[in-house]
Amino acid sequence: MARVVLENICKSFGSVDIMKGISLTVEDGEFCVFVGPSGCGKSTLLRMISGLETVSSGRILIDGEDVTYAEPSRRGIAMVFQSYALYPHLTVRENIGFGLSLARRPKAEIEERVGKIAETLQLSHLLDRKPKALSGGQRQRVAIGRAIIRDPKVFLFDEPLSNLDAALRSQMRVELTDLHAKLKATMIYVTHDQVEAMTMADKIVVLNGGRIEQVGAPMTLYNEPASPFVAGFIGSPKMNLYDGDAAAREGCMVYGIRPEHISLSATDGKWRGTVRHIERLGADLIAHLTVDGLGDLVARCPGDTPMVIGETLFASPVAGKEHKFERGAIG
Amino acid sequence: MNSRRQLFTGLAALAATIVIFVLPFLFIFLTAAKTKQDASLLTFTLPQQWQLWQNFMDVVSARDYMLLLAYFNSTVITVAAVALLVLFGAMVGYVLQRRPSRWNTLIFACVMIGLMVPPAVVPTIWVLQWLDLFKTRTGMVLIQIAYGLAFAVLLFRSFIATIPRDLDEAAIIDGAKPWQIFFRVILPLLKPVTVTVIVVQSIAIFNDFTNPLYYLPGRENVTVQLTLYNFQSQFGTEFNLLFMNILLVTIPPLIVFIFFNRQIVAGMTAGAVKG
Amino acid sequence: MSRTKSPYPYWFILPAAVIFTVLFLVPTLASFWFSLTRWDLFSVEFIGIENYRQFFREPFLIQGLFNTVIYAVTTSAAKTVLGLLLAVLLTSGLWGQGFLRTVMFFPVLVSTIGVGITFTVLMHPTRGIINVALAAIGIHGPGWLTDPTLALYSVVLVDVWKGIGLATVIYIAGLASISPEYYEAARIDGATRTQLFFRVTVPLVKPATVTVVTLSLIGGLRSFDLIWAMTRGGPGFSSDVLASVIYKQYQAGFYGLSTAGNVILFALIAVIILPLTLWFNRKEVEL
Repeated sequence: MARVVLENICKSFGSVDIMKGISLTVEDGEFCVFVGPSGCGKSTLLRMISGLETVSSGRILIDGEDVTYAEPSRRGIAMVFQSYALYPHLTVRENIGFGLSLARRPKAEIEERVGKIAETLQLSHLLDRKPKALSGGQRQRVAIGRAIIRDPKVFLFDEPLSNLDAALRSQMRVELTDLHAKLKATMIYVTHDQVEAMTMADKIVVLNGGRIEQVGAPMTLYNEPASPFVAGFIGSPKMNLYDGDAAAREGCMVYGIRPEHISLSATDGKWRGTVRHIERLGADLIAHLTVDGLGDLVARCPGDTPMVIGETLFASPVAGKEHKFERGAIG
Repeated sequence: MNSRRQLFTGLAALAATIVIFVLPFLFIFLTAAKTKQDASLLTFTLPQQWQLWQNFMDVVSARDYMLLLAYFNSTVITVAAVALLVLFGAMVGYVLQRRPSRWNTLIFACVMIGLMVPPAVVPTIWVLQWLDLFKTRTGMVLIQIAYGLAFAVLLFRSFIATIPRDLDEAAIIDGAKPWQIFFRVILPLLKPVTVTVIVVQSIAIFNDFTNPLYYLPGRENVTVQLTLYNFQSQFGTEFNLLFMNILLVTIPPLIVFIFFNRQIVAGMTAGAVKG
Repeated sequence: MSRTKSPYPYWFILPAAVIFTVLFLVPTLASFWFSLTRWDLFSVEFIGIENYRQFFREPFLIQGLFNTVIYAVTTSAAKTVLGLLLAVLLTSGLWGQGFLRTVMFFPVLVSTIGVGITFTVLMHPTRGIINVALAAIGIHGPGWLTDPTLALYSVVLVDVWKGIGLATVIYIAGLASISPEYYEAARIDGATRTQLFFRVTVPLVKPATVTVVTLSLIGGLRSFDLIWAMTRGGPGFSSDVLASVIYKQYQAGFYGLSTAGNVILFALIAVIILPLTLWFNRKEVEL
């Protein structure tokens, strides 16, 4: 059972605290996504699990074993890097088999295992090519192949899709999800893209400023964000968040309502506003309104809603979809 | 109009360049082919009688085939010194670039000292004698390494900076030991800069005169440049043989130059752009 | 429970560090001590600054010091100015410029001794080709290497001949890194060719200038092979430089004096190069 348990992990460079006491359990076979803005510590956390980065204090357990100070290669992990980090001077075959060749496994065994993995990843016809001669998606698959061959208990992914174009990215999201279903291994995946987190994760860990903001299933985070930060980070377009007087009128510190939970009407509603800008996305329409007493408000409505700039409209929150936070600030 | 002017300037520059830069080499070649009397006139004429081959044999066999011994010594010293320079220089450049620490300032200071400070010759001889390496090829090899390290480290360091650290980390996760990361991942990727270091240092060490003069005296250890220097005083009147010797000494760099022109220029101009 | 070890172990530095320390740093440090001794084949005796005193008393030693500076400054100045002009010429789309670059660069790689001997012959006062050619157009050529007032400068000429190719390719690399947009912008502003050269090229090619000046100054100050092959410091001591003085004193068995010469050369390089480097860097900040 390859559970990954982090116990009160701290990390500091000099007097700067990067990680401030992270405790977390990733269950066996779970697809867990670390998400957060850049500089939140998500990559550092992943690198500490891999052993590429040392921990200042705390414990890391993989499969019940304390690996806090173990060599990266002794932790039963494999990692896919953002840049793929394929060895440019080696062929695809040698790249995938590199770890086994370091371990001095017999040639025949390496050959067989590389062959099998290449087949699953549809790389068989590319085995003798150098990484330079591969497309982005193919390189990505080689990197995954190199991870699979280690037969790891835990796969670590460090923003593996951020170098791909949008179309390939959504294709690779599907491939990775399929791979997870097939391998049933524990996977920890770092991204700054909340769409990747929402679409792929069993469990999302939202990090901010070296702390965990919230842990939960994608829809839990969407429906019940624990803080204004999570509320603003998960979901697109962003949730409308208000503090100060506007929030005080709703009886809280921070008041939030998602664009898709606003109904617009020409005649009456809770708020009265003027249409400032319209984004027509086809299926949807994103309306930017200037509302008296609130400021900017973004609303999402069906794509064929008639609307013109400068028009006066009334907006109302959908009942039960409002978020009222007693603490926290707009990030 | 403009292109015609360029053609004329080009032709003028070409003529001047040929007179200034090509004629001396032509002179070397022609004199090397002449007879003794013909050569002693020092004129820039075709040989009255071509005897390139005979002069070649005479130079090679002179003083008990000393030139062959010299080529052997120079080759051994150059090959050994350059091989170790590449290895040690790359290792230092690698750690220097990859591992920031207090030591780096010290290493950089040493590199700057190595590039600027002229070697203290007599104390070096004193050290070599103490190590029993004075007048030995081993000593000469070590000296060439010591003097060439600064250049090699600088080139390797700046090249290694272009190799992403992800590769090291991928290798670490694949279970590579530190020396395996270096020898199986990094070193193969250093090929372009390694070629540059090999070529530039080979030429420098092969052409080196001063250091063998000080550290490698004695007949059995002669190097190519020292033989040439000795021929100058001993065969002062036999210009045909002297110039045949110069011709022979010029050919190895010429061959290297033909094949590695680009790498040589790259190595020697490194630092010109970024300062 | 052991901490993860660095994948970049310090023992990688060890072989290089040992060789460099033993064969470079130790002799350099030892030279300060030995320069204060009367040191010959048989004994070492501390005599304080007597060697230095002698160095600055003997006219021929002082001349060696001056010659070193003259040699370094003239070769370096010539290589810098000519190198830049040639580089501009050879990047202007000239017919045959690739060939010219190649031909000019080749002497850089040729044995200095070979070059020295060749030019000694070419500069022969009566039969040398240079003077024969000058006589053909009615000029009585000088005794290039036999005239004591001229010998040093004749060697300087050959040094420039041998080294100009390197300065040129360094400048060519520097010119290649200047974006053509600067020239286009300046031309739109109405700059003439001369203005382009002095207002755009010269300031922007500065990194290359720094390299050329520093390299050729250090090389010039340490120069030995060419002078030794061509004049052996003569006639008399007229073309002696510090490096040849060091060798002569070593040959004569005055090891202490020779080492003092080494320390003086070392100090001379420091005195010239360090302020220059600081000055180059300060100008950088102002830009």
